[in-house]
Amino acid sequence: MYWVVPVPERGLTISPDGDNFTLEMRDVPVVDQPRWPALDSIAAPARMTFKMVWKSSGEPVRFEDASKHFRFTGTRAFCQLEAQVEVPSIGFSWKSDRLETSKCDYAVMGEEVNGRYYDS
Amino acid sequence: MNLRCTSRRQLSRRGILKSAALASLPLAFPLSGAGLQGQQPTTANGGSDPYPIPWLDKNGSHNQPGMPGYEPSHIYHFKGRVARSSTFTGMGTDNHGNRIAFGTATTDYGVMQGEYWAARTPQQGTFTHI
Repeated sequence: MYWVVPVPERGLTISPDGDNFTLEMRDVPVVDQPRWPALDSIAAPARMTFKMVWKSSGEPVRFEDASKHFRFTGTRAFCQLEAQVEVPSIGFSWKSDRLETSKCDYAVMGEEVNGRYYDS
Repeated sequence: MNLRCTSRRQLSRRGILKSAALASLPLAFPLSGAGLQGQQPTTANGGSDPYPIPWLDKNGSHNQPGMPGYEPSHIYHFKGRVARSSTFTGMGTDNHGNRIAFGTATTDYGVMQGEYWAARTPQQGTFTHI
């Protein structure tokens, strides 16, 4: 799948209470395609190293759509990210500031069932 | 006359195909025998990669926004832990010292860990949407 990559065994750490997820991956092969989804957008091989932390806010949230066979039950969350990207073919690299300086306006975490597991 | 008829029969399309098939047997058998040596016959169950969400596959992008009401997972036939985030903003520096901001309304990430169905059997895995 275009956007989905496997996470190595120790890439995801979950706190015992399930309220904190930490995802860390190094040198993930990705595609740098600035003009996506334009049909003629040029793609260059790139590598990405990142750390992402989700922390539950405790506020419950539930999304369900029977027509699409999915149900999500969890909480809203805070999420922060630090990352480093390299595009060797154009001699470009970029590194974000520390994780604590980033922010996102939307995050959730919890449990989901979909597809053949939806009715079970 | 008879000779010509016999000759035509021998050069018919079916005859040529038969001859070709038989001629290839001495080559085909040793090759296929060598290829299967030490291998068990397998059933075609498909790969163990997860299924994409079906309605996200229309353009081959397997992508959807991270927002309220939308399912957080990016793989289908899945049950497990999931986290989703979007609308990131932050700053960074490139290799020439230029300060470059990152993040838009569609800068989104996610992680999925648990059981998913593929190759006609339950699988365990962790995946991220980046």
